[in-house]
Amino acid sequence: MSEKSMKLIDLKQGQKGIIISVLGGRGVTQRLIDMGLTPGTEFKMLRKGRLCAVEISVRGSKLAIGCGVAAKILVKVKE
Amino acid sequence: MKKITIALAGNANVGKSVIFNRLTGLHQHIGNWPGKTVERAEGTLFHSDYTIDIIDLPGIYSLSTFSMEELISRDYIAKEKPDVVINVVDATNLERNLYFTLQLLELGRPMIIALNQMDLLKKKGISINIKKLQNFLGVPVVPVIATQGKGIHDLVHEAVRLAKGEYEKPKIEYGKEVEKEIQMLTKSLNKIKLDYPQRFLAIKLLEGDEEIKKMIEEVDPNIIKIVEKHAKKIECFHGHDRSTVIASERYKIANEIAKDCVSLGPSRVKFSDKLDEITTHGVWGYFIMIFSVVTLFFIIFTFGNFFSDILVGSLMNVRSIFEQYFGTGIASKLAWGIVEGLIAGITIVLPYILPFYVILGLLEDSGYLSRIAFLMDRFMHKIGLHGKAFIPLILGYGCNVPACLGCRIMETKRERLIAIFVTTLIPCAAVTTVILGLVGKYVGLIWAFSLYVIDLIIVFILGRIAFKVLPGEPTELIMEMHDYRMPDLKTVTKQAWFRIKDFIYIAFPLIIACSFIIKVLDVTNLSESIENMMKPITVDWLGLPVFSGIALIAGISRKELTLITLATHGSTTNFAAILTPVQMIVFSLVMMLYIPCVATVAALVKEIGWKKAIFITVFEIVFAIFVGGIAFRLLTL
Repeated sequence: MSEKSMKLIDLKQGQKGIIISVLGGRGVTQRLIDMGLTPGTEFKMLRKGRLCAVEISVRGSKLAIGCGVAAKILVKVKE
Repeated sequence: MKKITIALAGNANVGKSVIFNRLTGLHQHIGNWPGKTVERAEGTLFHSDYTIDIIDLPGIYSLSTFSMEELISRDYIAKEKPDVVINVVDATNLERNLYFTLQLLELGRPMIIALNQMDLLKKKGISINIKKLQNFLGVPVVPVIATQGKGIHDLVHEAVRLAKGEYEKPKIEYGKEVEKEIQMLTKSLNKIKLDYPQRFLAIKLLEGDEEIKKMIEEVDPNIIKIVEKHAKKIECFHGHDRSTVIASERYKIANEIAKDCVSLGPSRVKFSDKLDEITTHGVWGYFIMIFSVVTLFFIIFTFGNFFSDILVGSLMNVRSIFEQYFGTGIASKLAWGIVEGLIAGITIVLPYILPFYVILGLLEDSGYLSRIAFLMDRFMHKIGLHGKAFIPLILGYGCNVPACLGCRIMETKRERLIAIFVTTLIPCAAVTTVILGLVGKYVGLIWAFSLYVIDLIIVFILGRIAFKVLPGEPTELIMEMHDYRMPDLKTVTKQAWFRIKDFIYIAFPLIIACSFIIKVLDVTNLSESIENMMKPITVDWLGLPVFSGIALIAGISRKELTLITLATHGSTTNFAAILTPVQMIVFSLVMMLYIPCVATVAALVKEIGWKKAIFITVFEIVFAIFVGGIAFRLLTL
């Protein structure tokens, strides 16, 4: 892969990214892809900070994701 | 009279229950799905010469096996075969909603799309080409503004038309490669006769759905090998695992349809976005949260106190009337016990629990509670829960019974158990009246407040222990945060009513029965011997007066009875004359922790079974006495 992949949680607030893949157990993966985090999907990091959970906007709606899960989603930054 | 069954299905927070309420009005019945702790709402509608049964399915995002709700929904549609499925779709969030729509279509029932929140669409400067959408999906699309009742009639009209058989099965195809495998697999399944359509089975098998796989294995194990072959092919072709491939394909279709049908106006920063930003802010968000929660409690308990005093005053007048008619003999005293139980129930529901749940419902429906869940996620993780558990926890401050039932929003059994356990430690409205009436009034508000802080610390510690002791991985927060909106008053009051109904059905009979039993103890002078039996605990270990024993027993029926019993057995309502400040604090502390009242125990049994319910109850009694004794020794140092 040409672009460097990173964890979703490491994105800065306001940055946009593209989902590469979701790691983790079947249940969580299924849930995340059902919520629209399929590979190739664009999203924007809306909110992070001292909070554990992050808020992203994806497919026209907002999702809150716990940091444990957010660390298991591989993404690349969209320039 | 002809009968039709309609199922309402859709994502969470799309206005499904508003539509349900509009359709059924007062003809509703809320129960559980057989053998499951998932709510089942059913209602009836009479339309020309049709009796229409309406089932409100749980709000879900997919038909996989992620949760009980998803399984129940797909089983219901496939097995019970409702005449029509109305898929409620949030017009402002078409893509995500269509993902679910596509899965519903695969179940093959006649379907209508209720395109809801059309009013918000205009506000957001979005427009949707309904004709186009209809053509894409191949099913009728009815624009609806549920909160204003617009489009509801059209929905019923369409549903009746479809139920008569005027329905053509739509055909939505996946991408070329995947579609080829689906069609081939569907052919291999043509001898399989199950409740589900073959195409649905084929897609689910390709996805790797365990439940469906089990079902097929029982009928024809050879098919699994064929499935494996097809699934490998699509995995190879797309380079992702099978479930991801299918989901991606589905989202691709949803995206294409949405793109083609939706035209966006100039986007502007919305007020709701700004509100979202500030209420989830790392600093301001917490300020606002604390402010709103404190305000909520302040309003409820000042208002509640005021109203409750009036209510108690007027209802207690009933006593003299009662005694005029029935005299003051033993039989009359016992009968009064029943009336008193009823009155007590009313004086806690009307002034405290009802307003609490209405205001909380407003916050919930507006979208604010999910912001609090987001803010509290980190804290809740320390006790092995995620942010959403905050919602039943805060419900617990009203009454523990609906709060326990509210723990159903947790995804796994393990989390439900932890959430229920900590919820029973939350001081409910009745406990608060005692704390305020005893410690707040005679020792000082600071001490009363400290009790709440101590309680939260205990919740935290015990929650953490439960989290460490119980086996299993914690699940994480994955939650849609819908935009802020004006709450719908009708939905909110109905929700509050259903929560209170839990209390009335479970708690009222028990409260009345216990009130009667306590009167029996009084009349037969048994209470004195019970007090004496409890002496080692109450007097020696807790440093409380002898008559507090019966008050603690009375509290099992309902916590506010502890105060009333103290007054009758201490023969005064001036508690300063019979209790020292330390005794008041110790008494309140024990009362706050020692047992979920009998109604809560009943709710526990209902939700988690006998064994766990008894364990929690016994544990909390022992724990409360232990903590009370320690507090007594610390305070008298």
